[in-house]
Amino acid sequence: MKKIRSYKMLTALLAAIMMISLLSACGNGGGNEGQGSKTNNAAQGDKAGTSNSGSGEVKELSLFIDAPWYPVKEWKGPVADKITEKTGVKLKVTVATDDKQLPLMIASGDLPDLVFTYSNIDRLSDSKLSYPWNELIEKYAPDFKIDKTRIAIHTMDDGNFYTIRNSFATQEEMAKNKFSIGSDGHPGIAVREDILKELGNPPINSLDDFVKVLGMVKKKYPDMVPLIMDKDWLEQYFLEQFGTGVLLDGWYEENGKVDYSIRQPKMLEFFKFMNSLYRNGYILAENFALANDQIDDQYATNGKAFAHSHTVATADTDNIKIKSSGSGSFTFKMLPSALSKDAKVVSSGLGFAGTFITKKNKDPEASIKFLQYLASDEGKKLTMFGVEGEHWTWNNEGHPDLKYNPSDADFVNSNGIKWWYLYNDGVTEGMLSYVPGLQKTKALMETKAITVYKPQIGLIQAQPDSEEKTIKTKIDEMVKNEKVKIYLANSEEEAVANYNSMVKNAEDMGLQKLVDWANTVYEKKKDLFK
Amino acid sequence: MQLETQLTSPQTDSGRLWKRFKRQKMLHLFVGLGMLFLVVFSYTPMFGILMAFKDYSISSGIKGIFTSDWVGLKYFDEFIHDYQFGKIVRNTLVLSFLKVIFAFPAPILLAIMLNEVKNMAFKRFVQTVSYLPHFISWVVVVGVSYAFLSADVGIVNKALMSLGFIHEPLNILTSPNYFWGLAVGSAVWKEMGWWTIIFLAAITGINPALYEAAEIDGAGRLARIRHITLPGMKGTIVVVLVLTIGSILGGGLVGSNFEQAYLFGNSINNPTSEIVQTYAFKVGLKDGRFSYAAAIDLIQSVISVVLIFSSNSIAKRMSGSSLF
Repeated sequence: MKKIRSYKMLTALLAAIMMISLLSACGNGGGNEGQGSKTNNAAQGDKAGTSNSGSGEVKELSLFIDAPWYPVKEWKGPVADKITEKTGVKLKVTVATDDKQLPLMIASGDLPDLVFTYSNIDRLSDSKLSYPWNELIEKYAPDFKIDKTRIAIHTMDDGNFYTIRNSFATQEEMAKNKFSIGSDGHPGIAVREDILKELGNPPINSLDDFVKVLGMVKKKYPDMVPLIMDKDWLEQYFLEQFGTGVLLDGWYEENGKVDYSIRQPKMLEFFKFMNSLYRNGYILAENFALANDQIDDQYATNGKAFAHSHTVATADTDNIKIKSSGSGSFTFKMLPSALSKDAKVVSSGLGFAGTFITKKNKDPEASIKFLQYLASDEGKKLTMFGVEGEHWTWNNEGHPDLKYNPSDADFVNSNGIKWWYLYNDGVTEGMLSYVPGLQKTKALMETKAITVYKPQIGLIQAQPDSEEKTIKTKIDEMVKNEKVKIYLANSEEEAVANYNSMVKNAEDMGLQKLVDWANTVYEKKKDLFK
Repeated sequence: MQLETQLTSPQTDSGRLWKRFKRQKMLHLFVGLGMLFLVVFSYTPMFGILMAFKDYSISSGIKGIFTSDWVGLKYFDEFIHDYQFGKIVRNTLVLSFLKVIFAFPAPILLAIMLNEVKNMAFKRFVQTVSYLPHFISWVVVVGVSYAFLSADVGIVNKALMSLGFIHEPLNILTSPNYFWGLAVGSAVWKEMGWWTIIFLAAITGINPALYEAAEIDGAGRLARIRHITLPGMKGTIVVVLVLTIGSILGGGLVGSNFEQAYLFGNSINNPTSEIVQTYAFKVGLKDGRFSYAAAIDLIQSVISVVLIFSSNSIAKRMSGSSLF
């Protein structure tokens, strides 16, 4: 009898435990829903909005920046202070620790007021997670005008747009502004001036010339690494020189049809070239394993490398670093942005990153008005160039005269210049690079001259959780793994075989289906830019 | 009367139970806390397994685990047909078994050898030095290993080159050929001393009279180790072995398969360093495909459960001692 009772107790206890655990799981879900519900938040927003217009006190919004490398981590400095002064909003900033943090925050429903991201734009463009800008603009900021192209790019299938990416400019906008020459985000290679001189200043007018010089360096300075590459800027420069018109995870267009990058006819030549660099000992195998984007800078600034592949700003930033650390008396200079007659840059970008007003936002009204200020001419110049008078004055030719060197990363970052571009555009950003006399300026002007704009390609974007997205992600990841095998192959035959097996792998994974889908989307969307 | 007993007896019974419960309330508190821990951290998250069979999207939050559509074995099928499936499973199994083969006997050997050392100061010194690496995190170990093992700046390569053993630097960190050796070697280095403690304790428990008797009977050092020390440690060895095999896919007793594959892994040694856990981590968290990752991990968990039960029953049959 007793035994049965204690069993009963045990089962009751177990049942209770299971109930509790169930409730706790549901409780979470329920809480989510409650907080996410629109009426709740909108009401809160209204309240906060009215109190603001009355008192003018400073409001704090939380901002998550989905970029672990982000150089500014706190809302401080003259630019941030000025923005707060103008908008009554200050930000509590969290920078991601890795690229997995935001997906986790989304899954747990633990979102801040604002999210600034580039890799999760599709994911966050979802009415369950974010407020559509169009609704908020209509309700709180009817005079916030955004041009049609930008809206069209960001409009999702549900008819709403949830963000506008910064760093975007149409071909016409760029053509109209000759002082807008583009952002730092273009590849470039810097070489040691002193060593070139010691080698007798051999001309570098083609890729072959460059390779020859690397060979001379290897021979004369065996302890030196001929070419060191930033882990994120390994191949872009060479892809441009080969005129592939596409990066390794992108789409390219030819005769009205789009296809995936690795099937670009010039791609095999590019891979053979990269492989020859490795087989000749001009690049380190380790270079493809770097987990840290400082190591290449150390090689360059400590005088252990002849050439440094990074962005168009490399020579300027390296030279500043060498000078300030006193590690040597040498200088770098940029190679021309176009080193071959085939060189071509296809700009298919829709911009860089965008800001989302999440459903957890405690004050959507203040948020959209904050963005509206950043989108104004005054706001764009303030974020991008700094405080007028203190950091720059306007030159009537149509560009700012900067009182600092925009390649001086320490100065730029500590003053919070550029990086608060939660809303901005490519034209304004492109002017930050216009500093007569800088190497970067020259490199960017050369780049602009060989750039073709095809933003319609950028519109080929799969919805999150769709089958296309899955295939695309898997193929991209496969290419990331397999490309290294091609670069580091021990013979050209092996490189070609590895290339072929990579293409075959992609085809086995459903590449053709993906390309067909991409072409349908392209057909549908390409007229947006006409 | 009869009616009365029927009514009262349960009350008195439950009263007695309550009294006993009150008497033991401290003990129950301890048990309760332990159970609460298991419920919160081990059982509640198990609802997430549902994801593996559902079309779950991270934007639907936690309730999405229950509300999204069933898709059956779609994600299991997808993993099995992944172009890397064979490679990933092979890497996981090879790395795990290599660790059992090399990392499991290492602390036993060290314990036996330490036990034979008569100089106490030396013994303590070796023991302390050998278990200190256990307290260094893998992140630090991997960071430091760059300075030691890098082909370009590593001092190991520099030393080997200057001594003339090799002419070309070894790409220890950046070659698929070295990864397994690197992982097993560093795991043994890091955890051997720590596990030695448990085996030394087992040896301490052996009755010294046995050694004296054996010595009188003329048994030499090796004979004493073979016939007294090893049999005396058998129980501990079997229990540790069963635990090791139960967690074999995580790296066994030295653990850290994931940390090593994630931190030592790079796109060059990827052909040997990608294992099930890192793959699930990448596709699951980075790409936000929680369902797929859950399915992958579930496959691994099932394999682990099978392994622990079979190793336990084998241990029971062979040595008589087992975990359960």
